[in-house]
Amino acid sequence: MNIAVCIKQTPDTTTRIQVADGGGEIVDDGIQWIISPYDEFAIEEALKLTEANGGEVTIVSMGPARVEKTIREALAMGAQKAIRIDCESIPNDPGVTAKVLAEVLRGRGFDLIFTGRQAIDGDQAQVPGRLAHLLDWACVSVVIDLAIDGDKGTALREVEGGSERVHFTMPAVIGANRHLNEPRYRNMRGIMKAKRIPIEVVQVDAPAPQLEITSYSYPPQKGERKLFENGASDVAEVVRLLREEAQVI
Amino acid sequence: MNFALTEDQEMLRDEIVHFARQELNKDIIERDRNQQFPRDLWLKCGEMGLQGLPVPEEYGGAGLDALSTAIAIEALGYGCEDGGLSFSICAHLLACVIPIMNHGTEEQKRKYLPKLCSGELIAVNAMSEPGTGSDAFNMKTRAIKEEGGYRVNGTKIWSTNGPVADIALLYAVTDPGKGISGSTSAFIVEKETPGFSPGQKFEKMGLRTSPIGEMVFEDMLVPESALLGGEGAGFVLFNQSMEWERVCIGAKHCGTMRRLMEKSVSYSKERESFGQPISKYEAVSNKIADMKMRLEGARLLTYQGATRLDKARDVAIDASMTKIFVSEALVQTALDTVQIYGGNGFTTDYEVERTLRDSIGGKIYSGTNEIQKKILGNWLGL
Ligand SMILES: Cc1cc2nc3c(=O)[nH]c(=O)nc-3n(C[C@H](O)[C@H](O)[C@H](O)COP(=O)(O)OP(=O)(O)OC[C@H]3O[C@@H](n4cnc5c(N)ncnc54)[C@H](O)[C@@H]3O)c2cc1C
Repeated sequence: MNIAVCIKQTPDTTTRIQVADGGGEIVDDGIQWIISPYDEFAIEEALKLTEANGGEVTIVSMGPARVEKTIREALAMGAQKAIRIDCESIPNDPGVTAKVLAEVLRGRGFDLIFTGRQAIDGDQAQVPGRLAHLLDWACVSVVIDLAIDGDKGTALREVEGGSERVHFTMPAVIGANRHLNEPRYRNMRGIMKAKRIPIEVVQVDAPAPQLEITSYSYPPQKGERKLFENGASDVAEVVRLLREEAQVI
Repeated sequence: MNFALTEDQEMLRDEIVHFARQELNKDIIERDRNQQFPRDLWLKCGEMGLQGLPVPEEYGGAGLDALSTAIAIEALGYGCEDGGLSFSICAHLLACVIPIMNHGTEEQKRKYLPKLCSGELIAVNAMSEPGTGSDAFNMKTRAIKEEGGYRVNGTKIWSTNGPVADIALLYAVTDPGKGISGSTSAFIVEKETPGFSPGQKFEKMGLRTSPIGEMVFEDMLVPESALLGGEGAGFVLFNQSMEWERVCIGAKHCGTMRRLMEKSVSYSKERESFGQPISKYEAVSNKIADMKMRLEGARLLTYQGATRLDKARDVAIDASMTKIFVSEALVQTALDTVQIYGGNGFTTDYEVERTLRDSIGGKIYSGTNEIQKKILGNWLGL
């Protein structure tokens, strides 16, 4: 089984994101970069499948040279190959990402392509669907359980209020969700092995974006805390405020 | 001179810290109280590759150089709050696995290293005896050559991992006439060997999750193939293993000091007296400033020593200096951490008194600090 896992380098979840003056972009300096956490579930699932069925896992990431550190972190989990699609900065338009990925991955003989359900920075959740569409493959996303049998697969998806079981035919694009598995630690042997794996760098003419982020802003400051100190006798007042002031019920 | 870590050194450090915090830090107070060695966690550490850091990949290790090994052990000391477990790993790796890696025959390496690296086998270094600690080469244990191998009689004491070990690296006198540098040989002894029995287990003030005990050898016959590094190689082998211990357990202490310093910083910023955080009082902040200085000095000595473990023929002086400086830095830092925590620090629940208890042994094992000073004095021609 030949599997590609598309991963995105994103800021660490604990990084304090700074917006540059004018609000047009995010300041890169001082950011700790990590593999977008949903992508770790994708890598783990791909590794488990190839360990059970044979085959290889190729890590694919789009970005400047900086993302090679993240690619190595993915390789250290046990993947065999890696491709970096060179570009000056990671695209903001998921349409661009999907088109470029489709161009690079088409014709390489992959049976499955994994992605995370979404990247934790852009939160667009578009790449798995758009990529599958461009390849004319099946797409199942927000997957929490997966079984492959020959050229058929069964996936459990998380949906509002429950889960949904789907059958699909391969090849397919799978968007991994939390709970799909427990990503492994990178052990010392894996880290040392990853060091020696060559990363194939691919140049692509990226298509023009069809959307543009015009500004970033911080979330509204949290309001003053209100303390209720009279126990049960405050309940009516709390309910009133939640309804009228906070407008959450 | 370049003081920056490489990307893979950063990766292994971060991953070990992450692993240790997620997997190794539960229920330590209970384990410490009951003197319980966590075999399950030992095996998890084996999966991570911690028991085989510098061992070549073909024998099941990760093939790290000595500096990267020290950086990895430092990360373990930082992330893992079970000082006994990390100490047991160090004793196994530095005083048993590394000598086999460096001096084993191809057959010995193939037979033992993969299982020692994975954690399937636990090893103990059996050197000290009831009557000989600092002057260890005056040992009483004898291995007398006879048909079929060596006949061993003797008792070892203070053997870390002894009560749980599967194999022992045993030192015994094979030729008393040869003088200190050639009288002693090292043997790899399997626990099933008739005549070997684990003796008493000792209770101790710190490192309580690391089991320690006696080992008794009575008319035990070991085959010649058990000899490590040839007859008379015990002196060189043991001294090299102590150099690795003195430097790399120093690395573990550096990690522990960093953890204590960070705890002291956050506790002192939260705890208030006379209406302000205690960190605002110089009597407190000076203690933490000293912790920072000691840590940075200790780390430089450790990294320097580690670099030389790979490259220099003789690192005895570096190892002795590192051993003294770092173990004393750790005890002082642990003592000051308890002081900064005040009454809370004296209680078990805050988990800093345990680290103080754990730290004291550092001045004794791998050769006492007094003996290290003696080595330095001799080297200076005094
Ligand atoms: C936690 C722990 C783990 C250990 N693990 C192991 C192990 O795995 N395997 C093993 O073989 N051993 C182990 N040991 C034993 C350790 O190596 C010895 O305790 C140590 O070498 C000191 O020997 P001793 O206890 O006999 O002290 P002694 O030699 O009796 O020394 C007592 C005191 O006198 C001082 N002293 C002795 N001689 C001199 C001198 N010439 N000049 C100045 N001062 C001197 C010492 O510094 C010390 O303060 C361990 C010890 C501890 C505490």
